[in-house]
Amino acid sequence: MKTYLLFALKRFIQLVAVVFAGCSVAFVVSHLSPISPVEMVIGRVSGQSSYSPEAIESLRATLTELFGLNVPLHEQYFNFLRRLVVVDFGPALIAFPRPAMQLVMLALPWTLGLLSVAVIFTWVLGNIVGGLAGYYQNSRFLKAFGIVAIGAQPIPYYIVAFLMVIIFGFLWPVLPISDGFSMNVRPGWTFEFIASVLHHSILPAASLTIVGIGTWFLGMRALVSNIVTEDYVTYAELAGVKQDRVVFSYVIRNAVVPQLTALAMALGGIFSGTIITEQVFGYPGLGSLLVRAVNGGDSALVLAVSCISVIAVASAIFIIDLAHPLIDPRVKAE
Amino acid sequence: MLKIRTLMASAMVASMGLGGAGLAQDEPAAPPITNFPRNETLIINNPEGPAANPGWFNIWVAGAGGSWSGGLHQLNLDTLWFIDPDAGLDGAVYNELATGPAEYNADFTEMTVKLRQGVLWSDGVEFTAADVKYTVETQAATPGYVWSAPFADAVASVDTPDDYTVHFVLKKPNARFHSLFSVRWNAAWIMPKHIFEAQADPMAFDNNPPVGLGPYTLNSFDPNGAWYIWERRADWDKTAMAEWGMPAPKYVIYRSIPSLDKRLIEMVNGDLDMIHDLSPEGMFNLAKQAPTARGWFPGFPYAHPDPTLPMVIFNTQNPMFQDKRVRWALALMLDPVEMSMASYRGAATLSAIAMPPTGTHTDDYHAPLQQWMIDYELDTGMSKIHPYDPTVGQRIADTVRPQFGDAVPTDPEAINKSFGYGWWKKDLVAAGELLMAAGFTKQGDQWMKPDGTPFAFTLKTFVEGVINRLGTDIAQQWTQAGVAVTAEADPVIYANDLPMGQYEAATAWSIETWGGNPDLSFFLDSWHSDYVAAPGERQTARNWQRWSDPRLDAIIEQVRQTPFTDHDANVALGNEFVKLMVDEMPIIPVMSFNVFSAYDTRYWTGFPTAEANPYANIVNNWSNAKYILTQLEPVAN
Amino acid sequence: MFSVFRDLLRYNIEFAIGCVFVGVIVIFAGLSFFSPFDPTQVYTVIPDRPPDSQHWFGTNSRGQDMFWQLTFAFRNTLGFGLTVAILSRIISIVVGLAAGYLGGWVDRVLMFFNDIFVAIPIFPILILFYFVMRSNLNSFTLALIMACFGWPFDARLIRAVTLGLRHREFTRQAVFAGMSPLKIMFEEHLPYVMPIIFATALANMIWSIGLEVTLAVLGFTNINIPTVGTTLYWANNHSAMVVGVWWWILIPVIIVIILFIGLFLLAVSLNEYIDPRSRLRRMGA
Repeated sequence: MKTYLLFALKRFIQLVAVVFAGCSVAFVVSHLSPISPVEMVIGRVSGQSSYSPEAIESLRATLTELFGLNVPLHEQYFNFLRRLVVVDFGPALIAFPRPAMQLVMLALPWTLGLLSVAVIFTWVLGNIVGGLAGYYQNSRFLKAFGIVAIGAQPIPYYIVAFLMVIIFGFLWPVLPISDGFSMNVRPGWTFEFIASVLHHSILPAASLTIVGIGTWFLGMRALVSNIVTEDYVTYAELAGVKQDRVVFSYVIRNAVVPQLTALAMALGGIFSGTIITEQVFGYPGLGSLLVRAVNGGDSALVLAVSCISVIAVASAIFIIDLAHPLIDPRVKAE
Repeated sequence: MLKIRTLMASAMVASMGLGGAGLAQDEPAAPPITNFPRNETLIINNPEGPAANPGWFNIWVAGAGGSWSGGLHQLNLDTLWFIDPDAGLDGAVYNELATGPAEYNADFTEMTVKLRQGVLWSDGVEFTAADVKYTVETQAATPGYVWSAPFADAVASVDTPDDYTVHFVLKKPNARFHSLFSVRWNAAWIMPKHIFEAQADPMAFDNNPPVGLGPYTLNSFDPNGAWYIWERRADWDKTAMAEWGMPAPKYVIYRSIPSLDKRLIEMVNGDLDMIHDLSPEGMFNLAKQAPTARGWFPGFPYAHPDPTLPMVIFNTQNPMFQDKRVRWALALMLDPVEMSMASYRGAATLSAIAMPPTGTHTDDYHAPLQQWMIDYELDTGMSKIHPYDPTVGQRIADTVRPQFGDAVPTDPEAINKSFGYGWWKKDLVAAGELLMAAGFTKQGDQWMKPDGTPFAFTLKTFVEGVINRLGTDIAQQWTQAGVAVTAEADPVIYANDLPMGQYEAATAWSIETWGGNPDLSFFLDSWHSDYVAAPGERQTARNWQRWSDPRLDAIIEQVRQTPFTDHDANVALGNEFVKLMVDEMPIIPVMSFNVFSAYDTRYWTGFPTAEANPYANIVNNWSNAKYILTQLEPVAN
Repeated sequence: MFSVFRDLLRYNIEFAIGCVFVGVIVIFAGLSFFSPFDPTQVYTVIPDRPPDSQHWFGTNSRGQDMFWQLTFAFRNTLGFGLTVAILSRIISIVVGLAAGYLGGWVDRVLMFFNDIFVAIPIFPILILFYFVMRSNLNSFTLALIMACFGWPFDARLIRAVTLGLRHREFTRQAVFAGMSPLKIMFEEHLPYVMPIIFATALANMIWSIGLEVTLAVLGFTNINIPTVGTTLYWANNHSAMVVGVWWWILIPVIIVIILFIGLFLLAVSLNEYIDPRSRLRRMGA
């Protein structure tokens, strides 16, 4: 138990370091921008009307202070870190003066919900089928699955997603291709709302599964085909252990550990994919928000979304890491 | 082995779980909008992306991220007048909350308006002159309101002799003060005094749900900002709209669909009645795919010409573009037919003069000036040329005819109106002479500036759509002519780069007009040299080119003292302006902004058409599009 | 090295297929040097022509011949992928060898940073770079940025191999012979990790090209440079999919899939070569 806590502590320090490093990079990069957030807001607030120079000057001073830009860069950085602790990124420019974090919190549940369901489902399914394919190497069905998985994997994700819109929204219009839920239900813990959310998430989730499943399938198949040559498997088979017990307890269980590590490492990439998902399916979420922020020139919101992405992905990895020793007793606090 | 079969089967079942569960419970095809029956519901495409701050309906505070054209300014708000870019139901000018045109005193320092009686706010309170007075005084006093600066600049005082009369005293003579209350896309909306007065901080008030003077109130909206649903008021006849009839749809839904392709798909699926804009290819395809769908024109070029003039804007404060010979040389390097094809696939209406070739402008300006343009002589320093080519429209029509056949007009006058009266000839020799006269030299294929460095710059353009294509094509043509120009897709072109002067040249626009009226004050007043900012400072809209000229100021000052209703005087001033712009070429005018708005007549009929009944603008993010609702009829199934 | 290649070709069908696929794409990209068209120009041919004998891959709505246009797109895309792969290999070799051979605190510090880079979601960071740099973000800068994020996985692999090599006899001998650590790392150990470097380089190319496509489709790259991503961006901009100009999207997608399958098969077969156990299995079975 003590070793586990030590291990957890180490991992936690790493989590903090990742968040710190990622957010610092995001801060530095976003402050290289030639576009001044102050001028963006002045542009939005003054709109098409002709302000007097004095009015603009006083607005400029107020905003400069509000954004904390009236101090040297290193002080801005320390202020940024201080506010990062309480997850405050200041006002968003495209919804001024609403806090950027509020917009992020509106979007976050959608991305988290879609991603966690799609990723877990894809991972579990890919590993089960992959494990079986590794064990039963002569199964025609599983071989065919392997070929399809290899073939689908390299298609640019955008194409897969857009093809699904065309097929299920245009040629054979059976599934919704826009929004997170339909217009005749209202958010709440009602059956209608949850059913509508699920209904609207079918296409986005399915597209993520189609492009994602190959990785897990192939990885698991390779791992299992190595493990089946191990002596203990042969021994177990000879000793008359039931076949499905051999598959799940002896083979897949041992192979699942590196797959879990791989999942932790792949999360960042999968997260990147959802930006396209949300874009193509008009699905609400962090990705849509990020694109909107970039197109609106909203540096505060871009920074907020980047930092929250870093925090979310790092936390997910942290959780998977914590689960690691519980699944595989061989992993000790190294 | 049997066990394994079951295992595999369970894996398959698991894989179907997510998809299958959803599929099973949804028998009807496509997402149902069951609570909003189609014969009572009109579904309109809002071109804005999903609102960043969906619950914000205080339109008077700018930049708060609420949705402007998600129905709020079309259906819920109202103001004194509307000016239509097209014919209008009963003339282009509508008296909305006013009962007649603005009355000015002799020297244009006072304006009086008579208000409509018996109009109710959507909460039942009566609309009176006090609301107008409150709107003007509140905004003028508080910077941060959208119309604060114009009111503060212009208004000395407002008083209300009675409940239905407003009297303005202006700070200086201004025959165009009423235009602040005249909707062309948008204008200063009247605030509900009784609501805003009760707020401790009206600037922080979200106005949700909005109390308005329009015939619709908010039914519900998407917390993610993608759609807004509006419901017709039971007392719609207590609004100004009643004069033009009952708006037919009980519900109007505005949907944000940023992807152009998905707009087309949604319309073909019957989940969208009006599209704001498509790609040219999308429009051509929709016309083929959906027999019930059409654009403004029944055939080619389909699109509705907005009274807006896409152009090349030079930053005239940049030393590179201060010589008019350089600006002229760049204009003469462009091939008009290629620009039309590259941007609009030929469905563009070109204009060689600084005036959108739309609405009544072609009769007031383009046609009468045609001979003057043909005779126009340009001195390149080495030779004298006639740069104008009146056959451009004909050439474009001939280019697209093989593809579109009978959909392309053949009558010369129709060709002029659809494709343009003409444009400048591409003349690289003359362009070279002009550059050499300005001190430029040519090294190989590349032009060098007088200081010996290559003549190169960046052309900022939109991130997508026809303007993006236009910019890309213009950059290419200039590069081929020896000026190294790179096109840059710029998402903050209007938000930052044009006002801050952070650009060398751009494809965008600084000219927008009423469309249905020859008066140019809508954009021209802001071109006065008083408003030109110093380099590095913020330029207020719309003189993005930061160009000034004493002759221009003289025209503007004269407009300010000419009655809005004096048609001939305004046309004469407009002609003077156009000729000055041809001489100086501070911007290169290209074409009108043709919008591929489309509508589907599957559920509703009675939409305006270019050929038979052009009573309103179908570009539905314009507030002016609201009159369409009074003319619609549901299709009986 | 050559004999390895020959053996692989002979005994490993995946490697052979991979070679053919990648080879075809490289030759295709190489054709761009003989193109009659300038890829940045539009309206040089009649637009929207389906594939025929004159235009093998058809023409797009911008009036470009898709065959020649795609040769440029794949040249740029391959060049981009290769640049990222080479730059990120340099980082991963240095980090991996140093961490594996030197061990101790060097290892701990390097791996600490390594794990940080693994966890940072690169896409928002890339978008941030685009947000700041706009049109200054050319292919090389983008490649440089992506290389800075594309090494940690592979550095870990290289470290693992080097870790094993450290305890081998020849390393000890080299140390006793007085070879400097730098020399040992790059002369003795590098050849052993070379197969891994190749295998990971191929996987890295799949990754970087995929990201480039994603960025470009959103319009977040320099749209004037023909690449696979910008090809799709322009197709999208002209509603190619719904309008029926299918060849504008389908053909580049097919070629990308061929390229990716080729790279993938090469990477897999090299991996197999590295792991002798599976090689034995193949021969035995």
